[in-house]
Amino acid sequence: MRQRPLHFYYPLFMALAAACAIVPLAGWQWHGWLIGAVLLAAGGAAAVFAPAAGAAVASSDDYLVSRRHFGEQVATVWASHIDASRTQMETAVVALVGRFSSIVMKLEQALAASGAARSHEGGSIVEVSAASEKELRSLLDMLAGAAASKQQMLHKIEGLQEITVQLQKMAADVASIAWQTNLLALNAAIEAARAGEAGRGFAVVATEVRMLSNRSADIGKQIAQQVGQISAAIGATSQAAGESSREENRAAQASEAVIGKVLSSFRGITDALVQSSDLLQRESSGIQAEVSDALMQLQFQDRVSQILAHVQQNIARLPSYLDEHAQRSGAALLPLDPSGLLAELESTYAMAEERTLHGHSALAQPQPQQHQQAEELTFF
Amino acid sequence: MAKTIMVVDDSISIRQVVGIALKQAGYDVFEASDGKDALAKLTGQKVNLIISDVNMPNMDGISFVRELKTRPAYKFTPVLMLTTESQEDKKEQGKAAGARAWMVKPFKPEALLAAVQKLTMA
Repeated sequence: MRQRPLHFYYPLFMALAAACAIVPLAGWQWHGWLIGAVLLAAGGAAAVFAPAAGAAVASSDDYLVSRRHFGEQVATVWASHIDASRTQMETAVVALVGRFSSIVMKLEQALAASGAARSHEGGSIVEVSAASEKELRSLLDMLAGAAASKQQMLHKIEGLQEITVQLQKMAADVASIAWQTNLLALNAAIEAARAGEAGRGFAVVATEVRMLSNRSADIGKQIAQQVGQISAAIGATSQAAGESSREENRAAQASEAVIGKVLSSFRGITDALVQSSDLLQRESSGIQAEVSDALMQLQFQDRVSQILAHVQQNIARLPSYLDEHAQRSGAALLPLDPSGLLAELESTYAMAEERTLHGHSALAQPQPQQHQQAEELTFF
Repeated sequence: MAKTIMVVDDSISIRQVVGIALKQAGYDVFEASDGKDALAKLTGQKVNLIISDVNMPNMDGISFVRELKTRPAYKFTPVLMLTTESQEDKKEQGKAAGARAWMVKPFKPEALLAAVQKLTMA
């Protein structure tokens, strides 16, 4: 059983002392005894009831102290948790935005590379392809032109062959005339010999004519030989030129086939590149819209962090608010009014929805679509 | 030559998001975490626009703009307030301090870019 403190008996002691003083002063009369008895009764009653009143005062002090301790301890833990949550959320969102930023940058690089592949200083890749094809075609035309020119030259060489045939014939004619001249000179020499002395001079002439006809025959042979050689050379040249021309034609045809194949492959590649590039460019507008939306969504962290910071500050304020209330109310234990603390919370608000929630806290729930409203812009 | 924009906000994620949007559009961006930090970083270099939050530790956005306008180098630098705050009295404070526009977060990047383009046309 709890022992009562000594001060609880002070009224009884005082009443006893007063009674002891009153009775002798009253001359040991009956009324002195009566007053003494009344004092003793009052002192006894005071000694009995005073502890109860004291206990009530002591328990209210204890209550206020415990309430402050409660506020300090609970508010500290709540505030710590909120702070830790804010920090964690901020770290996570910052990392998320960082990665997102990296993705956006890579996407931009891909788009830029795709755009660069489609076009360079000389124009689009399709134009470059068409220009290359045109240039290669003109090269093929040049090759064909050269082949035609060679063919003409070949015809002219073949024309030379006919001239050599005529030359051969002319050489044969020379040889024939020389032979006939020789016969004629021989007859003349015979006739000169028959004429005797008178024909001696004529015989000299006939001899000279024979010698000339012999030389003509030799020259005719030589011409025939030379023309034969020229004809053989022209024939060989014509054959070689024909072979060369045929070879060049084959090369030109092979070149055309190879060039066509290369151009076809190149066209296939450029077509695929243009198609994939077109697809990427088309998709990029959709991706841009997604990026824009994501950038807006990612701003939730700032808003949530602000709301939590305001609540955290208000929670941290709770112990001192309780303490101030305790000091104001003293032992009277006035009712605890939350309006002051809530007014302090309201004064920290920055966002419209905080104020809306505050005004209708019992009804309102956070409206996600409110966060997605179009931004408000004011120019001053 | 790319225009330079300073972003002042205590939220790292908001600075990042604004940075992504602006860099995508070809602007040069540098950051400060509050008004005091921003004033320390503004040492006379050319800045075409400042985008500032309002509620920040150390020095809030309104005080920052007021202080900025006392510096000759930045007297005419346009300031866009980008904040969750939408109260008219706050906007009036921003206008009085010398801000040129007020945008409420969350913002759409294209809307921010449109405002930035308008404010940097000079």
